[in-house]
Amino acid sequence: MYLYLPVALTSINVLVPVGLGLAVGLLSGLFGVGGGFLMTPLLIMFGIPSTVAAATDSNQIVAASTSGTYAHWKVGNVDFKMGLYLLAGGFVGGLLGVQGIKVLKAMGNADFVIKMTYVLMLGIVGTYMFIESVSSMRKNKTQEVKEERQSAAGRFLSSLPMQTHFEKSGVTHSALIPIIFGGFVGVLAAVMGVGGGFLMVPVMVYILRMPMHVVVGTSLFQILFNCIEVTFLQATTNHSVDFILAVLLLLGSTVGAQVGAVFGRKLKGEQLKVILAVIVLAVTVKIIFELTLPPALLLGQSGGH
Amino acid sequence: MTEDRKKTTAIRAMVLVMLVCASFLLFVNGTALAALTIKANHDHIKIDFFYHGSTVSMRGVSDPGTDLIIKIASPDGHQALRQKGKVAGLLWMNVGELRFEQVPLLYSLHSTRKISDILSPEEMDKYAIGLESVGKKAEIQPVSSEAEKTKWYGEFVKFKESSNLYAETSGDISLNTNGGEQNYYVLSQWPYQAPPGDYIVTIYAVKDKKVVEMAETKVFVEQVGVVKSFAEMAKNSAALYGTISIVAALAAGFGVGLIFRKGGGAH
Repeated sequence: MYLYLPVALTSINVLVPVGLGLAVGLLSGLFGVGGGFLMTPLLIMFGIPSTVAAATDSNQIVAASTSGTYAHWKVGNVDFKMGLYLLAGGFVGGLLGVQGIKVLKAMGNADFVIKMTYVLMLGIVGTYMFIESVSSMRKNKTQEVKEERQSAAGRFLSSLPMQTHFEKSGVTHSALIPIIFGGFVGVLAAVMGVGGGFLMVPVMVYILRMPMHVVVGTSLFQILFNCIEVTFLQATTNHSVDFILAVLLLLGSTVGAQVGAVFGRKLKGEQLKVILAVIVLAVTVKIIFELTLPPALLLGQSGGH
Repeated sequence: MTEDRKKTTAIRAMVLVMLVCASFLLFVNGTALAALTIKANHDHIKIDFFYHGSTVSMRGVSDPGTDLIIKIASPDGHQALRQKGKVAGLLWMNVGELRFEQVPLLYSLHSTRKISDILSPEEMDKYAIGLESVGKKAEIQPVSSEAEKTKWYGEFVKFKESSNLYAETSGDISLNTNGGEQNYYVLSQWPYQAPPGDYIVTIYAVKDKKVVEMAETKVFVEQVGVVKSFAEMAKNSAALYGTISIVAALAAGFGVGLIFRKGGGAH
């Protein structure tokens, strides 16, 4: 059955967005990412204009991450305190990032610099995550050695002021750490035009040293608020949110997020990390291909990324 | 008296000349008026919730012995598109925006035979028949040379064809001669990608590689019902629309969460 999308000004087979929603929602519930890296290009492939695809995806993520946060919260895997600190940092970072884009654009060649930074960062993060999680899966018992290696950086982190205990995550940090790193991811997300889940999850795992299951829930909580903000801004400034498309997507993604959360509980933290690392690396390769292979069409609709 | 007679003769001569001229004009116009007509069966397309494009059939009467070309186009306008190019000789990315002026949003052609066989290039340019002729009057900014312009117009056509907005077909108008009249008929697929607006359907009768007659009709496309309400709300009450979208997403997320808990999905 086909439905007409009033803002995208195109018609789509309803099975397409429902199916896409289901798949991306599953990833969301499993790994705590928004899934925009997958959803936006697929929607464009099905004829949705790029601005509408990006804006409507944020609207859909609001539903998927609500569903996912709820599922993780039920089993005590959302650290609200940490989430709020990250959000505070992310909010300021987002504002700085928007200004940053203007500066980069004025300097010229901004897209090149942005894309290269993003590819490099995804590549490094993905590789590190992959190696680290595989090796810790192999030698589960030598973890004490690893912790000692971290202690120099650990000492520095614990010497910072405003130390506070995060009960759900079972870690003690200076409140400045999540705010600064939340801000850092916020800047990058704004500059790259992506949600930032791929960078936020590794930050929580490796820098904030939170348990993987709490990372997923907390990341979704944080994404939820980001996407509310983005949806509202897109609706009011670009008029590019397609409500009908969002509803079709969320029919799949809210269910997918629940299934993902249930499935994720059956996997060990290390296993989740390995799979996420593989996905991050796959996305890196995909972007490299996109950058190097000649595109089928040299022209595209204006706006979006 | 002789003066009067001269005057009458002069007047008679003038009247005669005028009559000859008038009858000549009448003759020329007369054939034109009698022959070419066009009617679209579906000249008001309504975009509702289940819209997935439409079909428009066009039929009419033409002079026997003429070939026919039907052009469906929106009025010329301007469009801005993102341009991809190679950066550092290696990587493809967006390098800027190209502005296209004097180009229709939708352009499709139907004809009785291959257009280049029945119409001269000059006539094609004059009436903007064929994508090549549309390209000649299009303006593209910024391009550095004529070769660049040709290249980017080619890309523009590819982009338009990919969303079914530009199309050229030939040999699909069927003719049926009945007595002294020639009836024609063609069925055109109306793409769902064509946005709401006014579209002009022009029929050209062609003989000896020249356009000898033209007739015109309009197709009007508009959104109706739910589709119209949503589109208008997104534009005119953006803050309310955004808020409703967010609240609906939150409610759906919670709702599904509750269903899964009750259904025992989580364990």
